[in-house]
Amino acid sequence: MSHAGDLISAYLDGELTRPEIEQLKAHLSSCGRCAAEIQEVQLVRSAVRSLPMLELPAGLVPEADAEMVPLRRNKGFWVGAAAAVVALVIAVAALVTPSSPSIAIDELNSRYGARASLDPAFGPAKVVVPDLEGVLD
Amino acid sequence: MTESVPLTWEEVARIYGRKIYNFAYRLTGNSDDAADLVQEVLLRVRKGLAAYQPGSFEGWLWRITRNAFLDEVRRRNRRPTAPLPDEVDRWDIASSPSADVEYSRISLGDDVQKALLELPYEFREAVVLCDIVGLSYEEIARAVAVPVGTVRSRIHRGRKQLRESLT
Ligand SMILES: [Zn+2]
Repeated sequence: MSHAGDLISAYLDGELTRPEIEQLKAHLSSCGRCAAEIQEVQLVRSAVRSLPMLELPAGLVPEADAEMVPLRRNKGFWVGAAAAVVALVIAVAALVTPSSPSIAIDELNSRYGARASLDPAFGPAKVVVPDLEGVLD
Repeated sequence: MTESVPLTWEEVARIYGRKIYNFAYRLTGNSDDAADLVQEVLLRVRKGLAAYQPGSFEGWLWRITRNAFLDEVRRRNRRPTAPLPDEVDRWDIASSPSADVEYSRISLGDDVQKALLELPYEFREAVVLCDIVGLSYEEIARAVAVPVGTVRSRIHRGRKQLRESLT
């Protein structure tokens, strides 16, 4: 390939297949321009994901306000969701086999120190790669 | 996943209301517009749930959401008396980084929001669905009705343009 291009964002989002990851790593090891770009894109990605999750204006969605009272409180829901995400990540990490075409979370964990984001503001768990040094070795 | 479990309208409102609001807010930078959109989307969900076929609920919901957003912008566009949302003017214009605005720190949320609003709509939508809503590329592709490769390209180009705006 010429340059890594959108493989970079797809990698940061955990959307690359194993062959694509290998392809990207091979390129990054010999291309300073793409190595710099992945760091810059990672910075931007983090900045957008750091935007605060705004509260719904009170009264806009009564069904959402109502949960302040009954069984499923807002925070309780997110705590439950976070716990479910943790369980899911563990389960996926255990299930993903080396032959899987999808991204191998355990491999990312071991190689790049990847972790799943548990901040509900970011929605479903995503593999994020906080330390790019491993990629650039 | 719970994709195939049918949700009631109340559950959709409770679980997704805040996400829909944040989606609309980050696309428009305007809380009133975002609030209007939440109500419109929930109305459409209420009408559409009866006919919903089990499948990708996220793709279905966010397709409704983004279509409602686009319809709302078009509707306002047709009414000369209504003030246009700021970003509408930019839809057909490939934006250039605004030289008159100084961005010193990438970590400031206001700067990030401004930079988002400078993106062409397709890029902004893809970035918001990925980084704010938290959809997978596959889900974004379903919501926007474009191939996954297009989603990947839009997200990356959007981020690169954001980076230009923020430095
Ligand atoms: Zn390169």
